[in-house]
Amino acid sequence: MIEGQERVQQFKQEIAEMRVRDPATGRDRMWLRVGVVLMIAGLIVAGLAYPMSHGTTNPLSQNDALALGLGGLTGAVVGSALFVRYSVAGFLRFWLARLSYEQQAQTDRLIESLKK
Amino acid sequence: MSNLSAVEPPDNPARSNETGHQDHNLLELRGIRAAYERIDVLFGVDLVVPEASVVALLGPNGAGKTTTLRVAAGLHVPSAGDVLIAGRRVNGAKPEELARHGLCMIPEGRGIFPNLTVRENLRMMTYVGRSLAEIEEIAYSRFPRLAERRTQTAGTLSGGEQQMLAMARGMATEPALLILDELSMGLAPIIVAELYEMVAQVARSGVSILVVEQFASTVLGVADYAAIMVHGRIERAGRPDELAADLSKAYLGG
Repeated sequence: MIEGQERVQQFKQEIAEMRVRDPATGRDRMWLRVGVVLMIAGLIVAGLAYPMSHGTTNPLSQNDALALGLGGLTGAVVGSALFVRYSVAGFLRFWLARLSYEQQAQTDRLIESLKK
Repeated sequence: MSNLSAVEPPDNPARSNETGHQDHNLLELRGIRAAYERIDVLFGVDLVVPEASVVALLGPNGAGKTTTLRVAAGLHVPSAGDVLIAGRRVNGAKPEELARHGLCMIPEGRGIFPNLTVRENLRMMTYVGRSLAEIEEIAYSRFPRLAERRTQTAGTLSGGEQQMLAMARGMATEPALLILDELSMGLAPIIVAELYEMVAQVARSGVSILVVEQFASTVLGVADYAAIMVHGRIERAGRPDELAADLSKAYLGG
């Protein structure tokens, strides 16, 4: 049996080393995927709407195809916006982490040189 | 009723250092908000469990006590706020992982296998990487009565013995942080007093305990600090003797 204080220290160490996935990261990834899907699906729908309208002389069907095409394009634009938003956020987060690491390293070097 | 949002005793060494990091708090909830579907149940709960201390969370039915415990144990993801264990933010950590490292929650309703014997119930705890012999040694040394009942099915034990078994299963994991939900549920007061004597023994061995209880007077005898929760908020917190007078107001309103 481990003694109380020793057990607490072990617990603290294990918790410090534990890998914790931030739920916010999962949400970002989900929106990124939604963006990609919307972008691709929107373009496909818009692409299919063209032969659909071209292949008929019925103005009602042409209107439907037009609406479908516009909807597809809107979806593609929204999807692109989501994709850019969440991929840039990920990149900037990484950049910020790198900047703060470099700044810390630079501060350490400065302190070292001042000590000499 | 004064509004003190966190259990942060003034004379306790477990306070923030200059950086604001809570070095001696084994568990800390900061501004926790939680909901079931669209129904909000916690509205910014701040609670601290200092190292090697017993904190009692009291309050009437539906105050959000069990949800607070579930959030602390990682079983319910808060919609806002931070859960810190040993100073580390653990929002989103898997409850089984927290349990493996030493956070043990004994839920309301005991959480034992009624169709298995006492020994088999203990055997189920070998997942923590200890042999049955070790687990039995830990369990029976703390709860000798269970040794006499080792071949009896858990469902046929008395309520108090079932609760002892639940605690023994928890203690078998050698927890650093023990979370107890309504230990007294359905038990006679004399059994409750006996169980809380055991809780006090466990606390003396260095385990930090967060306990939710409706038997306020019993738990206040064991607790180092207490908090009263009403309508999803901590209404009052402090030492048990400071809170005793406010309890009836919290339960009965006014």
